[in-house]
Amino acid sequence: MKRFLEVYPALFRVGLRENIQYRASGVIWMLGLILEPVIFLVVWSRVADARGDAVGGFDAADFAAYYMVLMIVNQLTFTWVMESFQFRIQLGEFSYLLLRPLHPVHEDITMNVSFKLVMMIAMLPALAIVYVAFEPRIAISPTDAAAALGALALAFMLRFCLEWTIALAAFWTTRVSAINRLYYSLVTFLSGRVAPLAVLPAALGTVAASLPFYYCVGFPVEVLLGRLGPAEIARGFLVQAAWLAAAAAAIALVWRRAARRYAAVGA
Amino acid sequence: MAPVVDVAHLVKSYVVPVRKAGLRAALTSLVRRETRTVDAVRDITFRVGPGEIVGFLGPNGAGKTTTLKMLTGLLYPTAGEARVLGFEPWRRQRAYLERITLVMGQRNQLVWDIPVIDSFERNRAIYRIERAAYRRRVDELVELLELGPLLEKPVRNLSLGERMKCEIAAALLHAPEVLFLDEPTIGLDVSMQRRLRAFIREYNARTGATVLLTSHYMADVEALCRRVLVIHHGRLLFDGELASLVRRFAAYKTIAVQVNGKDFDPSRFGEVVSRDGGRIALRVTKEDAPRVTSELLRELEVADLTVEDPPIDEVIDSVFANAGP
Amino acid sequence: MRYALDLIAVYFRLGFLNESAYRANFFAQAVESVVTLGTAIGAIAIVFTQTDSLAGWGPSELLGLRGVYFIVLGLLNLVIAPSLEKFIENVVTGNLDYTLTKPADSQLLVSVQQVQVWKLIDLALGVVVLVVAAFQRAGDLGIGAAAAFLVAMLCGVAIVYSFWIVLATLAFWFVRVENILQIFWATYMAGRWPVGMYPDWLRLLLTVVVPVAFAVTVPAEALAGRLSGETLLGAIALAAALLAFSRWFWRLGLRRYSGASA
Repeated sequence: MKRFLEVYPALFRVGLRENIQYRASGVIWMLGLILEPVIFLVVWSRVADARGDAVGGFDAADFAAYYMVLMIVNQLTFTWVMESFQFRIQLGEFSYLLLRPLHPVHEDITMNVSFKLVMMIAMLPALAIVYVAFEPRIAISPTDAAAALGALALAFMLRFCLEWTIALAAFWTTRVSAINRLYYSLVTFLSGRVAPLAVLPAALGTVAASLPFYYCVGFPVEVLLGRLGPAEIARGFLVQAAWLAAAAAAIALVWRRAARRYAAVGA
Repeated sequence: MAPVVDVAHLVKSYVVPVRKAGLRAALTSLVRRETRTVDAVRDITFRVGPGEIVGFLGPNGAGKTTTLKMLTGLLYPTAGEARVLGFEPWRRQRAYLERITLVMGQRNQLVWDIPVIDSFERNRAIYRIERAAYRRRVDELVELLELGPLLEKPVRNLSLGERMKCEIAAALLHAPEVLFLDEPTIGLDVSMQRRLRAFIREYNARTGATVLLTSHYMADVEALCRRVLVIHHGRLLFDGELASLVRRFAAYKTIAVQVNGKDFDPSRFGEVVSRDGGRIALRVTKEDAPRVTSELLRELEVADLTVEDPPIDEVIDSVFANAGP
Repeated sequence: MRYALDLIAVYFRLGFLNESAYRANFFAQAVESVVTLGTAIGAIAIVFTQTDSLAGWGPSELLGLRGVYFIVLGLLNLVIAPSLEKFIENVVTGNLDYTLTKPADSQLLVSVQQVQVWKLIDLALGVVVLVVAAFQRAGDLGIGAAAAFLVAMLCGVAIVYSFWIVLATLAFWFVRVENILQIFWATYMAGRWPVGMYPDWLRLLLTVVVPVAFAVTVPAEALAGRLSGETLLGAIALAAALLAFSRWFWRLGLRRYSGASA
């Protein structure tokens, strides 16, 4: 524990400096992250307007609120480990990472968080534009906020563990782009990005509620917006925690084999 | 006979921004852009006849590559005139580009992941080489450059020397009349350098193609060119037979000798260039070098002794010094 | 002309040769493309569980739109983007000099020099989707609409290509052009849905700043049989103008690269 307290600030400093340097490409990358929720916002708002009544309990203003919060939550939980693993292995950088007396995941975490800190500043104008343009209905109670914070923290860790584990596939094949694409596709549908779970067809919604993807993004969003009752929130937390435990176990397991394979195949 | 390359008072200047380090400089540069002018080529005049092999010699940044780029149409001159095969190169007319070729050392035009022969095919299509002629060319070049086993290999699997051979072959498929070679032997090992030079000589003898070659290796120029143009700071300092250049300006040798122990006065052997403890560098004339060497070996306890040609910069500096104001 | 087609064929062949060294890429790309297509169709399906029409577009019309989107994306990823991205790299490394000493039009060479052949799968899937969508409206699709669609499609591709040439040409002035290209990719995503459904300001952006509307929505409108004559004429005019402008801009950039005095 003490070692982490020593190492993390140093890693953070490096991460911050690097990310400030790459701010231009970071901002542009964010554009993509921002545009997708906006697109679905518009799509569902049009559907709601055309129907004249709410869709799955959402009207246009509700959708606006949902997607605006989704933007923030997605930004706070996303990672790029799957892409960076590909590069690391291609460029042979993994060798020096493995030589360090520190699990590579820590550097990834600090880089990730420092990037988000830097990028939050760029996000604010985008959020302002969305707020003004789409007039979301937002009413957040303090209890919701507190619960959401917890859900967000768990979501961040869950997503990180999940994507880190999937990223490890790069040790076994170079065709990770296909695997990644499959993952992103599942995430898009089942995490609440294409539509809030309540709007999805019933069967799909049920499946989504038991899989981890929803708990990475959609769940914290709905908690914050006060769309879930206390029982639902409690159950959600349990599922979240369970998946987090599973993902953490997966990392530990797969990492050991991955490192062994890397050494066997040749650095 | 009309010259193949006719250059008159060619000038090339660039305006480059001046960038200084530090935050203040970065901020002021937003408001006021400081620039300075780089005179890469200043008033060069020369002519090259058909079938000549001509070497442009000079240290890095002398203006050799800039001159070559102007002759291949890659750069517009700031002033002056140049014609190659009667064309103005920077008009980049197809009829012109089909008759010349450019090879740049350490830069590849071959496609990395596929067999060499497929890159050749690409060039065949671009240059619209008729199939029968293409076949003949390939066979010729394979024989001359010993490319047999290399043709089917992807470029990435070739060594640097093999890659260079293939690059040159690819550049010659369309039987160009003028070859522009920019530092073609850079980075190659000595034996490959020698083989490439031999090839260029042979190719010139067989086809009568005119060759313009730039290099900062004296050895390249020595092996290939009867005529050399020395360029330094954008100026043409010498244009003539290589033999006379060497005779006039590389008239000295440097003898570096490492002596053990005893005191002695080295100046009686020759001009002392430097002295560092037991390690002394002497400059003597070429004629005197053998005599001085044997004297040193005879009279002193020599631990190490080398006899070297003066470095190219020295030769050129002396050319510059002798060129007058 | 014949020479240009010859060159394009040569580079396609090179693209295949390049890839045959990595056969597994074919299957990886196939999986990717199918998954992407599945996601797209899935999203549309979910929307249409809740409504019959989205901003006036029915399911088969939206499918047609998605087909056009994939076709343009496929073309971009097949040859335009990889070639121009390589060009931008070559400006920095100096390898562009080789391209410029070749006796072929530099803009042509630079536009076709790199072919990612497996993106043909994307293209093929787009065509399949388009055909399915067209068949669903088989009765309503007249010769006029089909012709308008082909013209609109050609104009759309020409507009996107010219746009990319202009962006790539900026590499002669600015080193970090890749960032600008990223903006295009991010914005192009919006073309998955009809541009008409977006609020005015976004629609303006997608028509004027990044030509997504002309690339995707306009041809899809033609297929849906509701493209106005004025819009079609506008597309043709814009395509011609952009082709001319991009050509002029390219030559300007080239002159600058070669240090020609203004």
